[in-house]
Amino acid sequence: MSRILPLLRGVYGIWLREILRATRDRGQMIGGVSRPLVWLLIMGVGLNPYFRGEVFGEVRYVVPYTYLQFLFPAVIVLNIMYTSIQFAVSVIWDREFGFLREVLVSPMPRPLILLGKVLGGSTAATLHGAIVLILARFADVTLTPDQVVMALGAMFALSFGLTCFGVLLASRIRSFEGFGVFSNTIILPLYFTSSSIFPLDPALSRTQMAATYPEWLVFMVQINPITYAVDLLRGILINFNQFPPAYGPAVIAAMAIGFFLLALVDFGRSK
Amino acid sequence: MTKPAVFVENLTCSYAGKRALDGVSLTIPTGASFSLLGPNGAGKTTLINILCTLQGADSGIAMVAGVDVARHPTQARNSIGVVFQDSSLDDRLSAWENLEFHGLVYGMPARKRRQRIDAVLDLVELSDWRETVVRSFSGGMRRRLEIARALLHEPALLFLDEPTVGLDAQTRQRIWAYLDQLRRERDLTVFTTTHYIEEVEGSDQVCILDGGRIVAEGSPQSLKDEYARSWLHVVPLDAAARDTIAAAVPDCRELSHGRLAIPLAGADKVDAFLGQFGSLLAETRYEPPSLESVFLSLTGRELRDRMADRHAIEQAAGRRAGRR
Repeated sequence: MSRILPLLRGVYGIWLREILRATRDRGQMIGGVSRPLVWLLIMGVGLNPYFRGEVFGEVRYVVPYTYLQFLFPAVIVLNIMYTSIQFAVSVIWDREFGFLREVLVSPMPRPLILLGKVLGGSTAATLHGAIVLILARFADVTLTPDQVVMALGAMFALSFGLTCFGVLLASRIRSFEGFGVFSNTIILPLYFTSSSIFPLDPALSRTQMAATYPEWLVFMVQINPITYAVDLLRGILINFNQFPPAYGPAVIAAMAIGFFLLALVDFGRSK
Repeated sequence: MTKPAVFVENLTCSYAGKRALDGVSLTIPTGASFSLLGPNGAGKTTLINILCTLQGADSGIAMVAGVDVARHPTQARNSIGVVFQDSSLDDRLSAWENLEFHGLVYGMPARKRRQRIDAVLDLVELSDWRETVVRSFSGGMRRRLEIARALLHEPALLFLDEPTVGLDAQTRQRIWAYLDQLRRERDLTVFTTTHYIEEVEGSDQVCILDGGRIVAEGSPQSLKDEYARSWLHVVPLDAAARDTIAAAVPDCRELSHGRLAIPLAGADKVDAFLGQFGSLLAETRYEPPSLESVFLSLTGRELRDRMADRHAIEQAAGRRAGRR
């Protein structure tokens, strides 16, 4: 125990620093609040009347939710994606301004340094996702406490995986300047093809689906891991799944573990 | 016999086909103040990085406080404190938060952390600034805070890589006063690299590194006794005059801006030289034996030539600070 306690203190210290930095970063806080407002109040409210279970003017089935409700879980994922991937900036910052060396000469083992940092980043991302949860009433989503707990758990697991992905990006990026463009070219396509803003109509057969949407788009949606994260949150928050409910947890867990291991390899290599 | 604070034997390290360190051996006794002197690219930072466990060596042994840094890096890290050349503080955190972070990462229990943070803040006279965010600190305050942080976990050995670059003379003096006090009080070993030759004069042991090799080692006085010569720095009237002198005095050294350094064996050589070439000179200056001239004798270059490099480093540091 006397050996483990100092290490836990170290992980706590690294985690705490990330939280302090995140809460002092005004820009990120403003983005974290304004992004869901823009998406829900403008996009969501604006498209709400056009969203019906209708194909070519013919009602296929009655959708049990409104567009706002449908969009709501996806906006949570969007907020988490921005904050997690933006976490790469924090990693680049540490590297470029020498703070990383302060940690590397400390007796903390490398994997725990990474773990502390990633836990800090994912906590911040989860908090940004939780900001959206506060807006639930405006999207006509009623939440019970156990729904909130389950959602937060799923959000944290997703944040963890995406934050590790951010660390992987950071080790491949040399400058801050390119990162803004870079992150947008990654985040937005992933978001749009995650079935976040339009459903792959579950009432359609595969051939009918291909007639409604081009084959390549259906393919993009189906191979996008974010699709299953959005699907999991929809299952929890509005009780609607487009895919088998087991897919979501499996994909999120695979991302968290896989990206963490890859980040570990990367982090061990960079000195 | 007590263990030496630093023990390095036959250390070799190269990257990109270039030898950064070439068979370096050195021993620093506990409680000593040691200065590593050398031009940029001499391998100073490589040596510090290896001793701080940030980088591996190709071959040889490196030990700090009796611990092999390659075999037991974690144990070695516990006994060293490091102040890097560039600031490694988090400038969005306050002075206290920076120290608290350091204490947590070094696994110090809460009570000890509080005690030590108060003590080191007192030491560097920053107690009134503990809640201030580091971003608003001056260069000297940052350096002092970094020294405080490096001492927080009570290391046996303190590494300082160019600790006074970019600071004014007054701050530099204060920092050296702190370090001397600490050394006297708790047997701290201080390992410094510096460009400021006047800072080296006060240390117990000086080592001159050039091209990855140790070219001289000893106390400042013994180095001066052994290697220092008097030099005459002259400015020839024109290029032709310069060539004439260079041809007549084969062991002269070329300095920057077309100047020449003429080695002097005795006082009578000055008269002889001036009698012969006096009419070809625009300016002459007599340089008595100093560590500066030790450096010139050993490496054939002036340490002051590196002033330009230092200027560049400081500018880069300033740019970075501005980019934050």
